[in-house]
Amino acid sequence: MSSMPQVALVPAIARGDVSAFEALYDRYSSTIYALLLRILNSPDDAQEVLQETFVKAWTNAKMFDAVRGSEVAWLISIGRSRAIDRLRSRRLRSDRENDAGREISIHSSFVENTTGADVAVQSQERAAVRSALADLPEAQRIALELAYFEGLSQSEIAIKLGEPLGTVKTRMQLGMKKLRDRLREFQ
Amino acid sequence: MTHDEIESIAALDAIGAATPEEQGLFAEHVRDCLSCRRARDEYAEAATLLARDLAPVAPPAALRDAIVGAVDEDDEEETRERGPRINPWWLATAATLFLALWGWREIGIRVTRTDNASKQAEIARLEEENRLLAQKNEKLSSEMTSLSAAGTRTIALVGKEVAPSASARVFLEPERRRAIVFFHNLPPNAGDKSYQLWIIRADQPAPMSAGVFDVTESGSASLTVENLPVETEMKALAVTLEPKGGAAQPTNTRFYVMGTT
Repeated sequence: MSSMPQVALVPAIARGDVSAFEALYDRYSSTIYALLLRILNSPDDAQEVLQETFVKAWTNAKMFDAVRGSEVAWLISIGRSRAIDRLRSRRLRSDRENDAGREISIHSSFVENTTGADVAVQSQERAAVRSALADLPEAQRIALELAYFEGLSQSEIAIKLGEPLGTVKTRMQLGMKKLRDRLREFQ
Repeated sequence: MTHDEIESIAALDAIGAATPEEQGLFAEHVRDCLSCRRARDEYAEAATLLARDLAPVAPPAALRDAIVGAVDEDDEEETRERGPRINPWWLATAATLFLALWGWREIGIRVTRTDNASKQAEIARLEEENRLLAQKNEKLSSEMTSLSAAGTRTIALVGKEVAPSASARVFLEPERRRAIVFFHNLPPNAGDKSYQLWIIRADQPAPMSAGVFDVTESGSASLTVENLPVETEMKALAVTLEPKGGAAQPTNTRFYVMGTT
């Protein structure tokens, strides 16, 4: 976020600068790893996907466009995309649809237990993010999290929550607009 | 669809909740809509707040070494695969020199090919000339043989009114019924005319053609006559100017040279 400007690392990585890559890893690996654990609920899977994410960042650094978004958003998109792919393939192997609601609480518990590993330099940014999400109504937030962390479709979320599809869709759209507005305020 | 509707899809797409149909409409629209592309990027950034809200978790330290090591190894392999760096200036110079030398070689090959073709044509022309000279030599040898033969007779033809200074000499070989005639001081014939030699025979009223010939500025010409009638049947020889290629019978009585046998 703009309140905490940091030196851009991806352009240097695009030039083959390994030390810049190490700095990028040190700066964002905890954020990405937390996300992967949240999605996959498996340290082994999360570590594999974390490695895939940073290797892809190394090989695709030239494709990064700072106009389109921040470095951390770019890394998060790579990591989430790979994690959701893995989660969906895992679902194909075992029917876990009934456990999805429970997983949210499991993830939350896991993450809360590991807050001691927070990186100091990111704490200020995280506080700002928390502030941005604080105003989000619970119903909207749950709908967004089911889509974002569980990779569920609109209709799957509607079934899971027992709500009409239109209602779920509207909640997600309103929630995303609020997040965008808050992000604009930060920037 | 309106921009607001597209933006609503962008909001869903950012968290992976847009349906395939909505994704198609969205992708088609943003291709040509800058404001909606900007909205897409903003929503994508906003969606990451959900991830950034999570409490960070440090991955195992060994994982860092493995990831950085893999990337470092990849970088070394890439450097090896790239090979030694080549200065673009030298590369450009080398390429220019190569093209110049190649172009010069191509020009040389084409010049040589043209030269070869010209020389081949010259060789063909000389061979033809040589063949004609050989034929001429054979003819002259034959004529010399005739002229020096023991039974050869000489007949003189003298110029008449139209060409008083003209003359001709006939070398007649009765046994071979062949004659060689040399003409001198005849006026050059026009392009549409030919001189024609006639044999006036004793046994026939109509003259017999012995051949046609042309006379150049030198005024000289020669003619070989084969299958002559026997000597006793030949009464006289005469030359007239006839249409090009000769005539079956003389078209006029204006004799250029004439003589009796």
